[in-house]
Amino acid sequence: MKRAIPAVISAATALTLVLAGCGGGDEPVDPNAPVTITLAGWSLASTPEFKTLADGFKATHPNVTVELKEYAPGNDYDTQMITDLAAGTAPDVYVMKNLKNFYTYQSGGQLLDVSDVASGLGSVPALASYQVDGKAYAVPYRQDSWVLYYNKDLFAKAKVTPPDGSWTWDDYTDAAKRLHTGLKGAGSNATGAYQHTFQSTVQGFALAQTPNADLLSGDFGYLKPYYERSLDLQAAGAQPTFGTAKTNKLTYQAQFGKQQSAMLLMGTWYVATLLNQRTSGDADKFQWGMAPAPQFDKSTTGTSATPVTFGDPTGLGINPKISKSKTAAAKDFLKYAAGPEAGKALAGIGITPAQVTDAVTASLFGLDGVPQDDLSKFAYAKHTIKPENPVSKHTAGLQNLLNETHSAILSDSKGVDAELSKAQTRAKNEVLNQ
Amino acid sequence: MATLPRTRPRNRRLVSRNTVAGWSFILPNFLGFAVLTLLPVVVLFYVAFTNWNVFGVAEWTGTANFRRMWDDASFWTALRNTVYYAVFHIPLTLAAALGLALLLNRKLRGVRFFRTVAFFPYITSIVAIAVVWNQLFSPEYGPINALLGAVGVDNPPGWTASATWSMPAVIIVGTWRYMGYYMLLFLAGLQTIPAQLYEAAETDGASPWQRFVHVTLPGLRHTTFFVTVLLTIESFKVFDLILVMTGGGPGQSTLVLSQYIYQKGFEENQFGYASAVSIVLFAICFGITVIQFMVNKRRNS
Repeated sequence: MKRAIPAVISAATALTLVLAGCGGGDEPVDPNAPVTITLAGWSLASTPEFKTLADGFKATHPNVTVELKEYAPGNDYDTQMITDLAAGTAPDVYVMKNLKNFYTYQSGGQLLDVSDVASGLGSVPALASYQVDGKAYAVPYRQDSWVLYYNKDLFAKAKVTPPDGSWTWDDYTDAAKRLHTGLKGAGSNATGAYQHTFQSTVQGFALAQTPNADLLSGDFGYLKPYYERSLDLQAAGAQPTFGTAKTNKLTYQAQFGKQQSAMLLMGTWYVATLLNQRTSGDADKFQWGMAPAPQFDKSTTGTSATPVTFGDPTGLGINPKISKSKTAAAKDFLKYAAGPEAGKALAGIGITPAQVTDAVTASLFGLDGVPQDDLSKFAYAKHTIKPENPVSKHTAGLQNLLNETHSAILSDSKGVDAELSKAQTRAKNEVLNQ
Repeated sequence: MATLPRTRPRNRRLVSRNTVAGWSFILPNFLGFAVLTLLPVVVLFYVAFTNWNVFGVAEWTGTANFRRMWDDASFWTALRNTVYYAVFHIPLTLAAALGLALLLNRKLRGVRFFRTVAFFPYITSIVAIAVVWNQLFSPEYGPINALLGAVGVDNPPGWTASATWSMPAVIIVGTWRYMGYYMLLFLAGLQTIPAQLYEAAETDGASPWQRFVHVTLPGLRHTTFFVTVLLTIESFKVFDLILVMTGGGPGQSTLVLSQYIYQKGFEENQFGYASAVSIVLFAICFGITVIQFMVNKRRNS
């Protein structure tokens, strides 16, 4: 018996080596041979972007079929994808929804070096986020940014001057309060603004706009003025409180789409949703517009300046376990998805691609129901976008901690200072020291 | 009729046949248990001493995870909150379940209907429970605070929207959800107490309270012990109810150990550390159960 064990082990090793040798495949690949690559997506029935990319690619590469694999929406997407990658059953190409987990994928060796694709894309600002030690590990195909949506009808009803691109946060707070009073006077129950429960509605702007703000420094003082304004608006009744939004599970789509609130800060992905809901009847048909997000100070306001906002790119990466015969096709797909052709196709379904060119803006604003005013076009096309999640080992831990701080500040009375200093202590002792 | 010398082999055959039959009956269940529970639990004890983060190799780090836990304020917060939940949830549920069982252990019209009603929360989807109770608790628009306002409470609590009141809110819902299940166990226990004991007590002139203390409670001792053990384990591993009701918030006010494990493991991919925390949770549950068994044994003798 005892002798049998080493014999079995060496037989198994030999077999493995033979099999590995077979799979290695050093023979040249015929570029026109039919290939099928798999691509991860979520909620395929209601998220047309993956099919748009697959069909668009097929048109120029008839021998390549992109097969979609459905994953769970929301945060479960990453949990499922990480499990499948660890198990070796993930698709050839997968999506990074935001930058929060990019570090996990990259440092875990789950992304193929795609520097050759990235260098052929020209200057796409979002590319920088996917660079590690001079190599690119993913390419962006979408780049949403946060803008201010506003309901022109409700502004008229409340007799408040609509945004003109010159707003700082104080102007915004002021307008929300005046809307609240004006709407009440006009017999409407709508609130001046709606701030969704996401931590980014406060923290994303604060991090992007405050000079020298640095998430990884563990110094969160930059959040203070932003939270004070939110608390001020809650106390004045100009926006539903965090507690009400949470306990009643308010959705931003219904708040803005059903005219419950006159202003909403949200990412540009909401354009496609709003257009769809206007058609389906889930949203009312009213005059709306987009304005640049309110600014930290006057230096970045006005249509001659470039407003600062935030948003993570959505990227595509290649699973290193992809078979060699498919790598070229997968890289071609990445090149297409991040390029101008796919950009136009995505804009045609209301999605904001990684490169917002004039053609993209024209395509998006050609959709039925999109406002035609110059300020909306300006808000959509011109801005500096900073990442919501600067890529690092500590990002996920810090963001989870700050999410708890977000609910603590907005729902209770311990005060902004106390909660921020608690967050700083926790960041130092629980995350940054790991 | 079997002759003597043939009995032994036949007996042995019978035993082995019974063994095979026994094993084949439990095998389907045991296989599932072994693959999906036992094996992961055994692996967990190894992972807890490594820095495994899903991808790559798990490096042996000795007791580093446990030393980190000692200095981790969030871990202590989660532990404190878990104890807070357990200390209130266990006696409240025990009392409510026993009270309900006593009420519904009589011959009254529609008793089956009321028993079903009391059991209903237990079989209702926990997500539905969370959504509805959150709306009931809504500080500004919820009926609970409207009611409190109507009876003259000036400053009604913020419930799940407030760090001070979120835990009481969760405890109330937890008690409401589980009392029906334990009521059922108590009802079964009550039916095993012989009616003669009550009759004898009554003849001796015992008041209803005396009958409860001297007949019902001793008669229910085994049930009460069983319920307490189940309740304790259930309280310490509470997870789903809190996750869907408050998500641990506001802040960390309702963060419990199971959720902390989930956060560290599945959200931050620190499976080594998460496994170490689960070992601590396991040790707590195990320790308390052993103590309960010992106390019970002493009382029995």
